[in-house]
Amino acid sequence: MDLKLAIFKPMLKLAMERTGHGAALGFELTKVGRGEVEMTFPYKAEVVGNPITGVVHGGVIVSLLDTCCGSAAITTLTKAAITPTMDLRLDYMHPAAPHEPIYVSAKVYRNTSNVIFCRGSAWQEDRENPIAHCVATFMKVDTPSISFMNIVRRRFNRLIRGDKAFEQEADK
Amino acid sequence: MSAALEALKASLIQAREASSPQQILDLIPYSSFIGAEAKVEDDAVLYWLDRRSSNIGNPSLPAIHGGVIGGFLELSAAIEILYTLDVNEVPKVVDFSLDYLRPGRYKTIYCSCSVLRQGRKLVNVSVTAWQDSPDIPIATARCHFLIA
Repeated sequence: MDLKLAIFKPMLKLAMERTGHGAALGFELTKVGRGEVEMTFPYKAEVVGNPITGVVHGGVIVSLLDTCCGSAAITTLTKAAITPTMDLRLDYMHPAAPHEPIYVSAKVYRNTSNVIFCRGSAWQEDRENPIAHCVATFMKVDTPSISFMNIVRRRFNRLIRGDKAFEQEADK
Repeated sequence: MSAALEALKASLIQAREASSPQQILDLIPYSSFIGAEAKVEDDAVLYWLDRRSSNIGNPSLPAIHGGVIGGFLELSAAIEILYTLDVNEVPKVVDFSLDYLRPGRYKTIYCSCSVLRQGRKLVNVSVTAWQDSPDIPIATARCHFLIA
């Protein structure tokens, strides 16, 4: 068992499932390995894109695949860095069936010093017959903003100033 | 099923007559999930997404979730088709290609769409998103939709 990954896995799960848009969507990371992540998304009426058929909006599939590929990219890092998405290309094979969960998997197929190449797919009944397939590339960026001291400073600032701190950070 | 289709068509025609793309957005549950809004400005439709905590992707920066940006651009492209073209069914997305140019900071995102080509079956739409000024785009997208 990879010790670093054992510590990292619950942190990644927490960051992806419990904060921001991940918490709003409500998916679950079911498998986290080096360069490989799987997720499950239960059907939700709030994210419907076609009011007549009840099929979820394509934007949800974008979010799921972006999160899944992004998580897979993070698992390949060996030192602290952030991995913003450079580009994402999605092909929709067929519409998702409504009221059914969506399964998503992503795999890093090439990891270079600056760029991580990833592919992912989303399916329901049959893994071999996906709803959508995607390729995504991520950049490795080492920024001072993710140093421990800077994170502490920001959290402290937000605690005191509340929403004003967010505005300040957004204007930087 | 066909009654629902008729009702959708009637609402679309009404929205176009009222010059209100917002009415089309209101038909789609996903738009209120992310908080997308639209209005007509200088004969073009301007879409925007006000900041909200449920759209954050990286809480320590904070930055808007890349998937939300993608979803917002795809949604805007579909609304552009429904509003500007004579299409009365929800278009089916075939592919979607997104380039992130800058991080989406925790403030309002704007976007505008242009239909580059409308064929009998397919429509190609290009979308650009920005925050401070249209000259500083944060993302661009290109998508194909099936309309027949």
